[in-house]
Order: sequence, then C-alpha cells, then structure tokens
Amino acid sequence: MKFDIIIIGGGLSGLTAGIALAEAGKDVALVSAGQSSLHFGSGSLDLLGCDEKGNDIYKPLDAIKAVNSKHQYNKLEDVSSLAGVAKQLLERAGIATTGNITSNHWRITPIGGLMPTWLSMEGMATIEDPDQMPWRKVALVNIINYLDFPTKFLASGLRDKGVEVDVKAVSLPELQKLRQSPTEMRSSNIAKVIESNELIVKLAEEVYKVAGEGYDMVLLPAVLGMTNSEKSQQLLKLIKVPARYVATLPPSVPGVRMQTMLRKRFTALGGTFFTGDQVTEGLFEDNILKGVKTAKLDGTTLEADNFILATGSFMSRGLKADYNRVYEPALGVDVDDLGLDRKTWAKIDVTDAQPYMEMGVKTDENLRCMRNGTTISNLFAVGSILSGHNSIKRLDAGGVDMLTALQVANNIIK
Amino acid sequence: MANETQTQNVSVNNFEQCLKCSICTVYCPVSAVSPEYPGPKQAGPDAERYRMKNKEFFDDALKMCLNCKRCEVACPNDVHIGDIIQAARIKYNTHRPKLRDMMLANTDFVGTMASPFAAIANPILKLKPMKAILHGVMAIDKHRTFPDYSSRKFESWFKKNAASEQDKFNKHVSYFHGCYVNYNYPQLGIDFVKVMNAVGYGVHLLEKEKCCGVALIANGMPKQAKRQGEVNMTSMRKAIANGHQVLTTSSTCTFTMRDEYDHLLGIDNHDVRDSISLATRFLFQLIEKGEIKLAFREDYHKRVAYHSACHMERMGWVPYSTQLLRMILGIDFVMLESQCCGISGTYGFKKENYERSQAIGKGLFDQIKEVNPDYVATDCETCKWQIEMSAGTPVMNPISIIAEALDIEATRKLNNLD
Ligand code: SF4
Ligand code: SF4
Repeated sequence: MKFDIIIIGGGLSGLTAGIALAEAGKDVALVSAGQSSLHFGSGSLDLLGCDEKGNDIYKPLDAIKAVNSKHQYNKLEDVSSLAGVAKQLLERAGIATTGNITSNHWRITPIGGLMPTWLSMEGMATIEDPDQMPWRKVALVNIINYLDFPTKFLASGLRDKGVEVDVKAVSLPELQKLRQSPTEMRSSNIAKVIESNELIVKLAEEVYKVAGEGYDMVLLPAVLGMTNSEKSQQLLKLIKVPARYVATLPPSVPGVRMQTMLRKRFTALGGTFFTGDQVTEGLFEDNILKGVKTAKLDGTTLEADNFILATGSFMSRGLKADYNRVYEPALGVDVDDLGLDRKTWAKIDVTDAQPYMEMGVKTDENLRCMRNGTTISNLFAVGSILSGHNSIKRLDAGGVDMLTALQVANNIIK
Repeated sequence: MANETQTQNVSVNNFEQCLKCSICTVYCPVSAVSPEYPGPKQAGPDAERYRMKNKEFFDDALKMCLNCKRCEVACPNDVHIGDIIQAARIKYNTHRPKLRDMMLANTDFVGTMASPFAAIANPILKLKPMKAILHGVMAIDKHRTFPDYSSRKFESWFKKNAASEQDKFNKHVSYFHGCYVNYNYPQLGIDFVKVMNAVGYGVHLLEKEKCCGVALIANGMPKQAKRQGEVNMTSMRKAIANGHQVLTTSSTCTFTMRDEYDHLLGIDNHDVRDSISLATRFLFQLIEKGEIKLAFREDYHKRVAYHSACHMERMGWVPYSTQLLRMILGIDFVMLESQCCGISGTYGFKKENYERSQAIGKGLFDQIKEVNPDYVATDCETCKWQIEMSAGTPVMNPISIIAEALDIEATRKLNNLD
C-alpha cells in the first residue's frame, strides 16, 4: 500500500504530524501499536517548566533560547509561531485550551503539587501565579469510593500554599453500582456511567449541596467526557458556583479525550489508521527508506515518500534496552546512548535526573534519522523518542511532541 | 548469560508484561455498561495469577467477556488479555453448556435443520408467541430478529449454477463460505463468485467444510470446536496442495481459523494459516501487484460508511477493505469511529445479554444515524444483524458492494478474459 507519508506511532506527536500533513492535503497513514501515553496525561501540555536547577520557569520563550545545545528545541525554526500553530491545530480538532507561549501557568497534579505548564484543556483548574493563589477557600469534592483522586495529598498540597481546604464527597446510586466490582471504580468507567443529561444535572445538584456556599472554588476529579468536552463543561455550568477539574491518577479522562478527538480529526481528514499493528522492519535502499513491514500485514509492504518515527521513549517501547545496549526496535536507527557506560545509565536515587531519560534516536538538524552513521533522507523522528531531553525534570513533553512534529511536517511540505 | 535470562522471560499470552496501566479497561465495551464485570485487566492478567495458584479463583463473570479483543488492540504492552480470559474459561469453567447455548452455537446443525423449512421457519421465528417461547424457555431474547434462513443453501446454488463453470478459468481459489453465507445469506457467496470470476479466478468449495467454531468456543464447547477445526484444516490442506488460497468473506471466521485455532484450541494450523485470507485482502493485494484490475459502473453513486468489526480490527486488516472500497469512484466514503456493535456472535441473542448488547452498540447506532449512509459496509455478518436491527440502515459486505458497483464486461476485458 502506498501513501505520501507513513507515521509510526499514534500518540500526541504522531497524530500532530499526521493532522498537520493531512490538513496540507497529503495522503497519510499511521501505524500504531496499542494506545499511547496520553492516557497518563494531565489534561495540560508542558512546554518548558523547569530550568537545569529545577526551578520553575515563568517566561518559557527566554528559557527556550537558553536550552543546552543537545535539546531538540534548537532544531525548531520559529518556536513562537509553531506554538501558535499547535494551539490552533488542537482547536480545529475540537480541543479548546487556555495558555500561551509567553507565560507559563500552573496546573495541579493529582498529588497536590503545582507544575508550570503551557496549554490546559478547558475546564481544568489553572493558576496564573503560584506565589499568589487565586483562592482563599476551596472545596475538594471527590466521588465516594473513587480511589484515584487522593484528596489527602491534594488538600495538604493546597494548604501548604495557604489555601483553606474542605474535603467533601458525593455520589449517585448509578455510580455506587460500579463498586460491584471493586477494581472497576476507575475514571474511565465513571465517565462512561455519567453520560446522560439527567445524571449530570443530578451530580451538579449533589455537588452544590455540599459545596454550594462559602467557597471561592470547587475542585473536582477530571472524570467526565471521554469523547468530547460537552459533558464536562455542562457539569461546571450547572454547579452554579466556580468549579474546575483536577487531573486524577491514570487512566486520565482528559488524556483519553485528547487522544480520541485527535484521532477522529485525523480520520475525518482522510487519514488511514493501522490499529494495533507494529512495524517490524524497514526496507532501506541507498539511504532512503522505501517501505516498512508490519506484524499483521504479512505480504504487504507499506510504502511512502516520507516516514516519521513517533514511537515514544522506553515506556511506549519506542526505545528498548537489554543488558548491553539501548536500541530502536522498529527500524534499527541509530540511538544516542550519550556514550555512557552501562553502570551509569541510571542513578540509584530515583528522584535524581536519570541519564537514560536523555537517550533517544540521533537526528540531523532537520530531524532526520541515521542508520550506521548515515542520514536517511526521508525518515524523520518526532516526540519523546528524540534524544537530548528529560521530560520529567524539565517538563517539556507536550512541547517536544507537538513542536517537533509540526517542524517535521513543515520540513516535509517544503 | 544475561541476555539469555531476558529472552526466556516471556510468559504465556504475555501476561507478565502487564504494567497495570488500565488502558485496556478504558476500551472494554462490557466494563462500560456492566459494573459486575471485573474488566479486562482484573479478569485477565491480574486474576490469572490467582487462578494459576488455585482454580477456585475462577469467576463466572468471565462469561460476560465478548471476546472482542478490543482490550488487546489497546494494550500498549501486547498482553493477550482476551486470550487469557478465553483460555481460563476453557480451562476452568465446569458448567455444562445449556441447551440454548448448544443450539445457538451449532450454527451449521441448526441451519441444516431450518433451511429446508425456511418458508415455515422464518415466519415462525418472527411470531410473537414463538419469540415468547424462545425468550421464556430458551432464554433467547424476544427483541431479537432472527436472521432469515434462506430456502436454498449457498452450496446448493453453487452446485446447480456455478460449479460447472469454474474449471474454465486459469487461476483458482477455494472458498470457505461459512454458516452465514450457506444458510442465511447466500447472496454474499453469489456476489463473491461473480467478482472472482470477473477477474479470472475460478471458485471451488472445500471438500468438507464445518462451522469455524467461533460460537462453540464462546458457548463453552471447545472440544467440538476442535474436532470441527481439524476437519477444516484437513480440507484446507488439500486445497492448498492444489495451489489454492482459501478465501472467506467473514472476518470472524478468518480470525478464528488463523489465530484462535492455535491460541485457544491447540490446533496446529501453522502450515495453513498464511493461506487463509479475506477476499478483500486477496483482491487488494492482486490489484496492488497489478495482476488484476477492476472497472466500476459510472452510474454508481452511494454513500458508504465503514464499520470496523472487532476481529477485523484485531487482525489489523481494516485498511485492506477500506482501501478497496475507496477505489470505487462513485462512493462517498465515511469511516465510522471504531467501536463494538455489541452483538458478538451469539452473545447478544441471549436474554441475559440483550440489554447490555444494545447499550454497548448505542454509540455506533447514533453515529450511523447521524452519518445517514446508503449502506454500512462491514466484514462481519453478525455486525450486520445487529446494525440492521438497531440502526435500520442496510449493511453490506464490501464484496457485495464491489459486486454491485462492478462493470462486469469492462472488468472482464481489462483482465483479458474475452
Ligand atoms: S492495557 Fe495491557 S499493560 Fe495496561 S493494564 Fe491492561 S493488560 Fe496491563
Ligand atoms: S475481549 Fe472485549 S469484552 Fe473481553 S475483556 Fe477484552 S475488551 Fe472486554
């Protein structure tokens, strides 16, 4: 089968590139093995949250100019304009966000931390400036028996910031039914139960009963709306007092929503999705990638003029490690292992910056991959499979995913 | 030494690869609507650890699993969750199947019995009192419309109208028609023969064909499924020895014979597997290689929405059918969002599952009504029953759409048959 572009990997970076290219009229196919790490998302996308020392960044544009030479942001032609394009791309897919590239805002983590971020999906609780908390008194309203929203941590995190917090809990009989199987009281199942207008109205009433008066803000677990934001926005309106969502432990409903809506947009643009399949081999000829083989399409080669590798890092199996080496399993492109000895890949203290996190595939200035030291002229890499950044320490995952994807889309269209 | 340790560390159905991310739960159509179902992660890799210790941990709720494999498609770590659950049902379930389940599962036996009496059986199966009896005594849900039994089996049609023509062709394939084509909808088989003949392939039936067994597996009769599977494998080996590919027009039969035979029933199919293919895939591959060409009628204009059947999705073959349909210029093609229709073979026919089955499919039915196509195209016959009953839109196999859109004369010319 032949396409203009084949993208390997169906997470945020792959879908961003796919949508940008399909919007430009290209015939794009995307091969995806299992669901992506968006399912662990926070409902926000980070651009550059922390400096080398771990301090919060307030003005990301200046900080981006100062990143070290290995960081992929150096390969972006115009960061501000790409960031604007990214926001619009999300919007066209139906994903409205707040935030911009000139100033970070802060999101609340499920365990009560405040993290600098770039774009937050509508309805998520955000804070302009962590040194001046916008609320004096907050009601933290959980759903009874829902365990992936650790209210104690959350409350204590907010109290540390000088906010007065009351923890409340509400329920509906329909939700308590989920407890019949105790392991299944999960965000996604709650989202599936609260689908009807009737239940949303009832839930809003319950929340209003416990937190209707005396609070500057009502904070709720983000467990509504897996396919669009209509339901979650409706609930906020019906509560009648200011209310916002806070990310839960995985699976992340806002993350699933983002994944679903991006995929829908890609398909609506005529993109072809190869679901649950895995690229097993690349057919290279004279430093050009001619086609790829997959596990399920035996007998068929997927051919394209250009290819994009967007398979993510270790956790998404875009990179693999054995006892001797780190490698890229799909196409066997070169990996930058930072020249480290096996013993120094990881630091003993898990909270330390882990060196292996910065490993990734090697690319040239146009984000093209290499094999045995030679650049492959039509194979690009985007997103967290790229070397040179640590998204846990620097909080730059969303930016690296979307901006490198858009840059590569531009490189290909040119 | 170190490397060896790692390569050996592979567990049955990859269950130890589970990192407890719960992504599978997000995509399980049953846990969405049935809170009493433990969900794929719990029912699969988690509980497997307990079951390995003591079979008492087997939970009857596992029979609620549709075996749709959507969990497997979603799992980022390639855990064969659906296989783990089905294997546990085969291994630990001690209940004998009910008469109703035996009836629903024996699609070919019941079909053989009903076909000669189709004129009587169809109206009877539609009568309210009969439905009440099925509902009350047999626990087959009264809301269900039974697929009509055709008065003439596909095999009879083939022998009478087509068989003698087939040797005239230079190239040949064997056709595994499946129960549905044989007893309920011979037209699909007729369409298949028409398309294959138009591109220069003679069609032959297998020496002996048994139901693929998918319904037997689902209804707790793995031994009978295995026996039937062995019969199919023997017939297919003969066909393959004659140089034939074995084609089907059902994604579920294909998936069962290629993957479930080996994974669940322990049937050795390694020498046959690659020669079993879906007709749409076969045609697409031939077109791509330039070996055949299709010409379509210029006056053909239809809005077609494609539904990805669960097992089609699991095989990863959806694009073969959609790319083929997109070759028909007169088609206004819409891709439906991939989700389960809820029927899952015989599952949705059971009284205890009816409501769940409809709740699972609701999103899909709403989507179809919104898109408002002339046809829904899908590669699975049970999806057809479910969607026609619940969304009211006619459903066609891609092969039937191709047969309808095909300009036979022009196609024959293009393939140098005249
Ligand atoms: S998706 Fe896969 S890895 Fe995640 S919990 Fe389910 S089985 Fe485990
Ligand atoms: S096979 Fe389907 S019904 Fe069964 S656990 Fe997996 S997703 Fe759920």
